[in-house]
Amino acid sequence: MQVHEYDVVIVGAGGAGMRAAIESGQRARTAVLTKIYPTRSHTGAAQGGMCAALANVEEDNWEWHTFDTVKGGDYLVDQDAAEVMAKEAIDAVLDLEKMGLPFNRTPEGKIDQRRFGGHTRDHGKAPVRRACYAADRTGHMILQTLYQNCVKHGVEFYNEFYVLDLIMTEVDGVKTAAGVVSYELATGEIHIFRGKSVVFATGGFGKIFKTTSNAHTLTGDGVAVTYRRGLPLEDMEFFQFHPTGLAGLGILLSEAARGEGGVLRNVDGERFMERYAPTIKDLAPRDIVARSMANEVREGRGCGPNKDYVLLDLTHLEPSHIDEKLPDITEFARTYLGVEPYTEPVPVFPTAHYGMGGIPTNVESEVLWNNTDIVPGLYAAGETACVSVHGSNRLGTNSLLDINVFGKRAGIAAAKYAETADLPELPENSESFVVDMIESLRTSDGPERIADIRRDLQETMDANVQVFRTDDTMREALDIIEGLRERYKNIGIQDRGKRFNLDLLEAVELGFLLEIAEVVTVAAIHRKESRGGHFREDFPDRDDENFMQHTMTYKDADSEAEGIPGMRLEWKPVVITRYQPMERKY
Amino acid sequence: MSAPTIPAPRAGYQRSKAKGSNFEMGAWLFMRLSGIILVVLIFGHLIVNLWLGDGVHQLDFGFVAGKWASPFWQIWDLTMLWLAMIHGTNGVRTIILDYAERPATRMTLQIVLYVASAVVIVLGTLVIFTFEPCPAGADPSLLPSICEAL
Amino acid sequence: MSDTTQTAEPASKVDLPAHLGGGGGEIPSFDCTFRIARFDPEKDQEAHWEEYTVTMHGTDRVLDALHKIKWDIDGSLSFRRSCAHGVCGSDAMRINGRNRLACKTLLKDLDTSKTITVEAIKGLPLEKDLIVDMEPFFQSYREIMPFLIPSGNEPTRERLQSQHDRAIFDDTTKCILCASCTTSCPVYWTDGQYFGPASIVNAHRFIFDSRDDGGDMRLEVLNDREGVWRCRTTFNCTDACPRGIQVTKAIAEVKQALLSRTLG
Repeated sequence: MQVHEYDVVIVGAGGAGMRAAIESGQRARTAVLTKIYPTRSHTGAAQGGMCAALANVEEDNWEWHTFDTVKGGDYLVDQDAAEVMAKEAIDAVLDLEKMGLPFNRTPEGKIDQRRFGGHTRDHGKAPVRRACYAADRTGHMILQTLYQNCVKHGVEFYNEFYVLDLIMTEVDGVKTAAGVVSYELATGEIHIFRGKSVVFATGGFGKIFKTTSNAHTLTGDGVAVTYRRGLPLEDMEFFQFHPTGLAGLGILLSEAARGEGGVLRNVDGERFMERYAPTIKDLAPRDIVARSMANEVREGRGCGPNKDYVLLDLTHLEPSHIDEKLPDITEFARTYLGVEPYTEPVPVFPTAHYGMGGIPTNVESEVLWNNTDIVPGLYAAGETACVSVHGSNRLGTNSLLDINVFGKRAGIAAAKYAETADLPELPENSESFVVDMIESLRTSDGPERIADIRRDLQETMDANVQVFRTDDTMREALDIIEGLRERYKNIGIQDRGKRFNLDLLEAVELGFLLEIAEVVTVAAIHRKESRGGHFREDFPDRDDENFMQHTMTYKDADSEAEGIPGMRLEWKPVVITRYQPMERKY
Repeated sequence: MSAPTIPAPRAGYQRSKAKGSNFEMGAWLFMRLSGIILVVLIFGHLIVNLWLGDGVHQLDFGFVAGKWASPFWQIWDLTMLWLAMIHGTNGVRTIILDYAERPATRMTLQIVLYVASAVVIVLGTLVIFTFEPCPAGADPSLLPSICEAL
Repeated sequence: MSDTTQTAEPASKVDLPAHLGGGGGEIPSFDCTFRIARFDPEKDQEAHWEEYTVTMHGTDRVLDALHKIKWDIDGSLSFRRSCAHGVCGSDAMRINGRNRLACKTLLKDLDTSKTITVEAIKGLPLEKDLIVDMEPFFQSYREIMPFLIPSGNEPTRERLQSQHDRAIFDDTTKCILCASCTTSCPVYWTDGQYFGPASIVNAHRFIFDSRDDGGDMRLEVLNDREGVWRCRTTFNCTDACPRGIQVTKAIAEVKQALLSRTLG
């Protein structure tokens, strides 16, 4: 075992992690731990753009952006945080441009902007051009630019280091972060990284679902690790299903396709969004579009042999326009479905995309251990975190914004904290939890296979906890998950080596997935209303009286929640400043 | 059971020191320019020697001597010799660099190459300027027939 | 105003081609044999071949087959992968002798009646099965200073750049650093010191960015004995690039920039 000492330890090298690293790397001794090479992170798969009220092409301001974010999140957004994000969006985009990001340009040479779902002018009057973009590979450009700037500032990366535990200690009676325990993929060695501050930026957990736009590596490691250490998770029931995943595959086709003029059609060739959102139609927020699509299919108006998808129609757009603005997604359609988007509509269906919930933080990216108090030295940013700027449904482009705004804030705050803090002492045997877990998995030879358990988990989540949810379906999923957790105790892995033992790591990741799936399902059963990405057929309306609050899920051996022992659910109030909740219509 | 030595993963890797010269660019450019010039020189040479007049039948010591009596042909052939040799040497050098993996092999092959090229260039240059088909006092049986006329 | 072409409002209803409404059939499945180069650093001295036969569908990719083998047959098979749709660059490997991304190679595009060979990319130290040490690759990348080096004072708003200037280096911004190009280059196979196509592509991305002022420094680096002049224009890199970048053309443009800098 090796022990390393740093001022700031950042876990995760996606957009949020690297944005934090750029800030803290210039101010304090920083290590970035990442389970894959930084440029492999899933930020790179984001396509459409990053919204900021630059007003480069038409009138716009950050207040409208705040309103859209709040309304898009079905009023479960903490409005102080949304305001911070919308205000700092402008500098976040300009920062990236100055770092070298090659945005598309207007004829005057300014950053070009385009329309995106849910982003409107003057509080919902009409779609507005707010998304700054680089073709349909904005996320790719952000990831590359951030990595390039990490190279520029000499940020120290530990590539292929899996962080499997958070070390907490008590300093003057206050729970404080002391470092992390990580597993080096190349050697199988355990490393302890001591740090005055620790930043979690480990991304999402979409792999609890089968059809997902998420990468295989998005197994919610950071979320599960902090949860296991007794820290709460906020709003885990809200998961976004992106309307336009390639049918059957889940590969993302950017909302930019609709921002550039594409429309959705059912089997009759009808542009059905005109019925569901008469004002902004296909550019309604994702939860509404996804639900509308699922509804079309349910009511028998789906396309294809099994009538199980709808169509994204780009055929009325000029091929040159498509090539210029949407080159990558049209190639996905050609490569994976063999469909030529110039002349044929593309089969699409909602795909699990983004977890709105996560580790609760305040606007300074400091992690909360209850509704109000922070864990000194612990920070979180990006999809891992729940600030909450996305509420119950994230608007398109706001995730790229989130990682840049709150990644930067986390990096600055972590470095500033490290300036004055002492390096906390490690508790005794702080590595033993990970060592024991790894050793028992490495030598496990039970009859259950990782892949089977994972497949069953993903299938039940897709079938029962997806776009439409009811108490019955979710209880069924919960039963299955409990069964899978039992089966997980009897798994067997085949690779017993030390080097690059990905078999072992998949087993560890499956443990995280099971833990998170349970939290998601329990929180979703507990919220007996429909709001944003969480739609209950048995409770189809929003219920502000009882549920205008955030869910906080704790791991607690002495408690029980929705029949599941070991969990505790609490509520946390929503911060409302300017905008009183209204009915959400588009 | 396990193999004895496994090189430590992520062992450092050192780039050879950059030279900061334009040599490789010069070499690259030279290959392209000399290539063009050689096309002219070689085809000119072939046309004059093998095609014009009696063609290939006219070739003998006298013909060569006649040509080299003129400084024009001396310079033509000299240019052709030097360009072709340097062009070819550089070509073989890059092949050695591309295919020889061990530094020692590279070094040995390159030394052989440079010595061979230098010998050919020096000998060729000497011949162009000192060509004498009928050296005085030589054994007549060793001389070409054109020398009988002298 | 943006140059976004404003198309007329699309029709509320259109007639769809008949095949989209229904019909079609089951996706055919077939057996497929893979010959995979395995190497366990804790047991083997050298890589060896192993064969696996799995039942696959026409819409599957090589990555799906590798997953099927790992998940259902042999859990010790090791390979990197993440996004599974060709944007993260994790799963570059040699499939039937050509460098490709496993997640972008559809089985139907390969001859599945024959055995499909899969091995690690060449030229980088082999670590295990299909995993190589990427460090030398990233080291070359870092050496060409892959970040914007602007000059002058920082403007308060964005730096202006015309659409034309932005278009000049568009192709090379697509690079995902998967190493397919570099490890398809015969020069790189024998000479690991060569910077390799990927580094040159990323240098190109900045040298031709009108906002950048560090082009001279990067050109100086690539004027090295192991720089652009080692390129033999075999076009392997261009063929290998999963993003369709005209790699060889980019290298040629860097050569031209070097020449005109010195001679011009």
